[in-house]
Amino acid sequence: MSAAKTGDASRLDQFLAFSAEVTAFGVVELQGTGQAEAYLQTVDDVVGAALVDELLVLHAKAPRATGNEGRAARGAHLRRTIFGDGKLGPVARNIVKLWYSGVWYELPGAWTETYGPAPQDVTFVVSPSSYVEGLLWTAIGAHPAGAKAPGYGSWAAPPRIPRFADDPVSPPSAEPVDGTVDAERVPA
Amino acid sequence: MRVLFPIDSARRTDIDAVSADDRYDAVIVGTGISGAIIANELSRAGKRVLVLEAGTGTDRTLSGYEKYLSNFYGASSKDNQSPYPANPNAAMPRSPLLRKLQPGETDSSTYMVQSGPYVTDTTFTRVFGGTTMHWEAKTPRMLPEDFKMRSLFGQGLDWPLGYDELEADYRTAEREIGVSANVEDQAYLGLHFPKDYVFPMKGLPLSYLDKQVARGIDDTRVELCGKSYPIKIRPYPQGRNSIPNPAYDGGKGYVPVGAVNTHQVEEGERCQGNTNCVPLCPVQAKYHSGKTLAKALHTGRVDLLVQAVVSKVVTDPGNGNVTALEVKVYREPQSAEHRTITVKGTIFVIAANAIETPRLMLASGLRDSAGLMGRNLMDHAYLLNWGLMPEVCGTMRGTSCTGGIIDLRAGGFRRHQAAFSVDIHNDGWGWATGAPFSDLTELVDQQNRFGAELRRGLIDRISRQLLLAFMIEVPPTESNRVTVDPQYTDQLGNMRPVVSFTVPEYSMRGAAYAREFSKTVFARLGVADHTRYDPGDYGYVTYEGQGYAIRGGNHIAGTHIMGTDKSNSVVDTDQRSWDHANLYLVGAGSMPTIGTANVTLTLAALCYRSARAMLKQLH
Repeated sequence: MSAAKTGDASRLDQFLAFSAEVTAFGVVELQGTGQAEAYLQTVDDVVGAALVDELLVLHAKAPRATGNEGRAARGAHLRRTIFGDGKLGPVARNIVKLWYSGVWYELPGAWTETYGPAPQDVTFVVSPSSYVEGLLWTAIGAHPAGAKAPGYGSWAAPPRIPRFADDPVSPPSAEPVDGTVDAERVPA
Repeated sequence: MRVLFPIDSARRTDIDAVSADDRYDAVIVGTGISGAIIANELSRAGKRVLVLEAGTGTDRTLSGYEKYLSNFYGASSKDNQSPYPANPNAAMPRSPLLRKLQPGETDSSTYMVQSGPYVTDTTFTRVFGGTTMHWEAKTPRMLPEDFKMRSLFGQGLDWPLGYDELEADYRTAEREIGVSANVEDQAYLGLHFPKDYVFPMKGLPLSYLDKQVARGIDDTRVELCGKSYPIKIRPYPQGRNSIPNPAYDGGKGYVPVGAVNTHQVEEGERCQGNTNCVPLCPVQAKYHSGKTLAKALHTGRVDLLVQAVVSKVVTDPGNGNVTALEVKVYREPQSAEHRTITVKGTIFVIAANAIETPRLMLASGLRDSAGLMGRNLMDHAYLLNWGLMPEVCGTMRGTSCTGGIIDLRAGGFRRHQAAFSVDIHNDGWGWATGAPFSDLTELVDQQNRFGAELRRGLIDRISRQLLLAFMIEVPPTESNRVTVDPQYTDQLGNMRPVVSFTVPEYSMRGAAYAREFSKTVFARLGVADHTRYDPGDYGYVTYEGQGYAIRGGNHIAGTHIMGTDKSNSVVDTDQRSWDHANLYLVGAGSMPTIGTANVTLTLAALCYRSARAMLKQLH
């Protein structure tokens, strides 16, 4: 994938910043999947780069947040401006699903009628490796079915669910409370 | 054990040489486990064998096998045929293509024509290795009482064989498949083993999820038909490599067979926990029949012809003996271009599967003295029950299934209702709901979650999933059947199978009880029940005012049942056709009943018995 096709590095950075916030994975973890450029390219290809730019600019303009209150306010802002927007919302949700599963899900019919046509908008797996790199599996302390096997007998042990920032159940300062043990630390 | 396919086995066999050859001792149709075992037994005894495979056979090379894996990764529907590309010359059933039928309707839009009223999503795989490519590899034996259903319970049929007559062949099959289990876990409900027997490999450990379920239900009891049954979680025997048991074979031990492709690759000697037995083990730790065929090919007496679809069994009208098979050899899957050849041999073995074998026989228009060809089609009826455990259990980790409940495989209640065994699925609700992808889309699209709330939601929603799959016995019923109809043909002009099936009431009584049994188990565990059967589901069946979505089990059986004479059966106890003395119809189709055992181990045991009969006939 050429840089020219996905835009300049700062555009990819903006895409990563948005993706990190909406997936609750760090930018470094997202880069570690090796999928960032392919996902940005996928979204560009299906809905057009102009719409993606619109979404990224809006996200970049959202007010900085500090503390719990700030985070709540920022979340509410993102819901009003992006996730609750008729045009941007379905695309934002698709970006979340893309990172978690490697699958581009066909957009709702109402979206295509209003903002389409989008001839490439069908449900598809971006690539065999995008399935393997889905965040879903990491999030639940498992592995993608058919890949990254954890080893003979590993299934007999309790799960190791990684901790993450702003976990509503298990804030980073507290011990895990979901019955799991030995939660792995997410790199800061 | 370093068993690899001989390098030249990946090359194309010369079609002219095969069709000119009239010195094959046996011609075998199909490279699944039945064909593989028979090819191996006959060739090792010095016989010349021709094996025909309808599929492409690309997985003999490592790159071919890995292409299947890559297909699976890249498939947006991860159904149990997703690794295997569409091949209109050797098509196979695919569950995502099914739809509900209206009363009286026939759906011929997919390869296996469904003439209802029940729509089955059962599948078989027409590739080199057959359905052992996608099987889960659970290998329980049938119970001694399963062989005597008619005389003990007044249901179904008795086998012309008993458990004791098959026991030694069960052990041979367990060696060939490489079964991992502990005798102390498997000696139950009358299952017995010779003194000092151990399985080739030690049992796979129960999953953490299994153990959490066991904590809630072990040593509790259920009441059924006036009798009390204890229940517990118990490991299943599996055809997947674990730790070899040094006590095997009188202390000689056991060497597992790993990946067998034409290139040496260090994998497959022990299950790595890919949680993907179905539809494809990425590392070949799970048995597939290529492991047996690799040995057979090394004898140098086996010719393998792939892309060869048998279109007709030709017989001598006088004595009924098979004289030849008519075979359509196609150039490539997407094109109907093919050459028709005939192949000859002394004996013929149809080892296609319990749908393709009767399909071929019926399409050939042969004598059928008992009128039973294609009848008594069986499969296990699956009822799924799913809910959320109170604690995170680490669902989605493991090998696909490790444990379950077998206590209701046997009992006097079988006079009244079907028995079942229960699997705990380590991959959660996947089979029932499409989890975990369906959970992701629901949380994002319906619950409007993103960021940390989404990530926590996924943990809560997926890592606590429990799915109990009830594998319910289905008795033989003559009206459940495979037929052919000249109006339904495939790309090569071969007639396609037409399936008519009604889930018997006996099985539905078992299903209704299974639902109640689940509720009891869920109550003991504090599981939140999420089970829901959609009336629009293609497998929706109503029984006594309640609806159930019944799934097929890919355990197709019974379409050429064995019996004591030519009036009550299609084959004898050696799986030899009553009507055609040099023809063997092998596989689960010969089984008169299937009890609550996955069929592969039993059909493999039967094939060892048949191979002995074939050698006797050839001498």
